[in-house]
Amino acid sequence: MSQPPSKPTVYRPLSPHLQVWKFHITMFTSILHRATGLALVVGAVLVAAWLLAIGLTASGCCPQAYTSFLTFAASPFGLFIWFGLSLAGFIHLTGGIRHLIWDLGLGFQLKSANALSWWGLLIGIALTIVFWVVLFATGKVVL
Amino acid sequence: MVDSYLRERSSKDWKKSEKHGAGEWLAERWTSVALIVLTGWALWSAYGLMGQGYEAALAFVKAPVNAGLLALTFIITVWHTHMGLTANVLDYFPNSRALKLISALFCLVLLVAALGGIFLAFKA
Repeated sequence: MSQPPSKPTVYRPLSPHLQVWKFHITMFTSILHRATGLALVVGAVLVAAWLLAIGLTASGCCPQAYTSFLTFAASPFGLFIWFGLSLAGFIHLTGGIRHLIWDLGLGFQLKSANALSWWGLLIGIALTIVFWVVLFATGKVVL
Repeated sequence: MVDSYLRERSSKDWKKSEKHGAGEWLAERWTSVALIVLTGWALWSAYGLMGQGYEAALAFVKAPVNAGLLALTFIITVWHTHMGLTANVLDYFPNSRALKLISALFCLVLLVAALGGIFLAFKA
């Protein structure tokens, strides 16, 4: 850091890289919020594929599109992906609400910040479990 | 030495927001708030459609209110996704125009696929 970079370019302060952190829960949930956000891109792709499959089947150009989508979506591997997406989704949801609370200027004391992080993580996991228990209990999903 | 260099550097060279104020920050927050509601609705709808087959799914998408809400959900999702991906890129690869362009193109393809699907279903 004592020498200026030789190439004139645009400087921004970079985020600390993952390996420099000593574990603490706000750091972990912050990383998790990014990771789940990236994972949810797969979810957006799948929902877009679902909509496209309906449209292509309805238009008559690819009558098998919806069946092909369901074959994947209802397969054990597909269910595994949906489970991962629901976990990422619920954790990203509670993480997002936590960030919105912080953005209101609330919960910045160390104790409350840690508690918010823990509660967000645990509630996200609990919602995922409840969601899948309901899906199996109501017969919406069968293995 | 380090402090004076950083002071000099931050005052002169760090990219400052020449064109934007809090716009993107606010957009990140408001898209989050909107998505809490919209994805909640989408999840509830998906629960209702599960196991109901193609005809039920098509009827759902063809309903004007659902088609509109699905399109709105996707537009805001893609906007939120692009801001999230760009934030990740900027934090670790601040000068990579290629990654930002890839994110934008990916989001555009995603949006076209989703809105195209809704349009085709709605018109059928």
